[in-house]
Amino acid sequence: MRILVLFSHPVETSFGAALHGQVVQSLQSAGHEVDDCDLYAEDFDPRLTRQERLHYHDPGVNRGPVAAYVDRLLNAEAMVIVTPVWNFGYPAILKGFFDRVFLPGVSFDMTRGKVMPCLHNIRKLSVVTTYGGTRLRAFLAGDPPRKIAMRILRATIRPAAPVLYHALYDMNRRSEEERHAFLTGVGKAMEVF
Amino acid sequence: MKALIIYCHPCAESFNAAILSTVVDALEHAGHESRVRDLYAEGFEPAMSAAERRTYHEEALNVQPVKEHVEDIAWADLLVFVYPTWWYGLPAMLKGWLDRVWLPHVTFSMPSETSGPRPKMQHIKAIAIVTTCGASWWLSKVVGEPGRKTILRGLRILCAPHCRTLYLAHYKMDTSTPQSRSRYLANVRKKLEKFTS
Repeated sequence: MRILVLFSHPVETSFGAALHGQVVQSLQSAGHEVDDCDLYAEDFDPRLTRQERLHYHDPGVNRGPVAAYVDRLLNAEAMVIVTPVWNFGYPAILKGFFDRVFLPGVSFDMTRGKVMPCLHNIRKLSVVTTYGGTRLRAFLAGDPPRKIAMRILRATIRPAAPVLYHALYDMNRRSEEERHAFLTGVGKAMEVF
Repeated sequence: MKALIIYCHPCAESFNAAILSTVVDALEHAGHESRVRDLYAEGFEPAMSAAERRTYHEEALNVQPVKEHVEDIAWADLLVFVYPTWWYGLPAMLKGWLDRVWLPHVTFSMPSETSGPRPKMQHIKAIAIVTTCGASWWLSKVVGEPGRKTILRGLRILCAPHCRTLYLAHYKMDTSTPQSRSRYLANVRKKLEKFTS
């Protein structure tokens, strides 16, 4: 499959970067074609601009400033998101990707004020993520990043396509072994993606 | 009260700009002091840089790049967020303000082996959100309102134990009318005055 990997972490020595490396390597060794989109390395600007906002509902024009990213998204058959959770949400750079690239005419159509999802080229989605908070704390906060993946993205991609969520909670208190076990588990999951 | 208004919209002629004016006016009318942070106007950079991430856990050093913003949240006892809900959540610009300004040591202490993270923004007694949604009320609920929860649950944990919250949204913005918008603005004024009285 052609798989778009969306990665957001600024530090190359981070555990996030290790997860990213593992994901890309495991997917490739399983024979997939990986389009590796490292948002920080590509210096993606997450700010939807005034011009973009003014043309937002104008399919054809709206994708102009991010045409290359739209092409990559529409060319993919599956997507893997690798990101930390910061403040019970995705890092701004990744949120900006949704704001700017998941546009009307790209990931959904607007008909009489109603949103009709249409990113049906994506047949499978995985999210690989780490939380500073514990699972309980995230649950009490309503776990917004999990909802974005399991509800919004799930509804956006091809109907009934599988969505998998791999999360390591309470990162700051995890031992070396626990982190290693998570990394290995993610690698295995990607090999059978 | 001392209100910090965080405003986020790229267009000066937008309905969100009208909401901002209403909020500022309502707070002034109710006798509160307020500061406005217009993130787009000041060209705020939402992506936490590699350098910031490396010093994220270092007390005193981590606040340097966003010193003025940290002073703002230390000053305020009321936070008011005015923004459009995009993709059921906060615009990246506003999410970046949370990522870069709500730093460890200042807003919370890091968890240790024996205890969880501890809130350090207990002077903040109330948080209000005034937003616009493309989706309906019903759809927003089904999706689980991630943006609302990021602030009114995630951020609220770091504030006063009984921090009060207010959430106001104009739903179905794409089919809004001049009447629905002006009714919403009137409601914002009334609710906000009551909330801060």
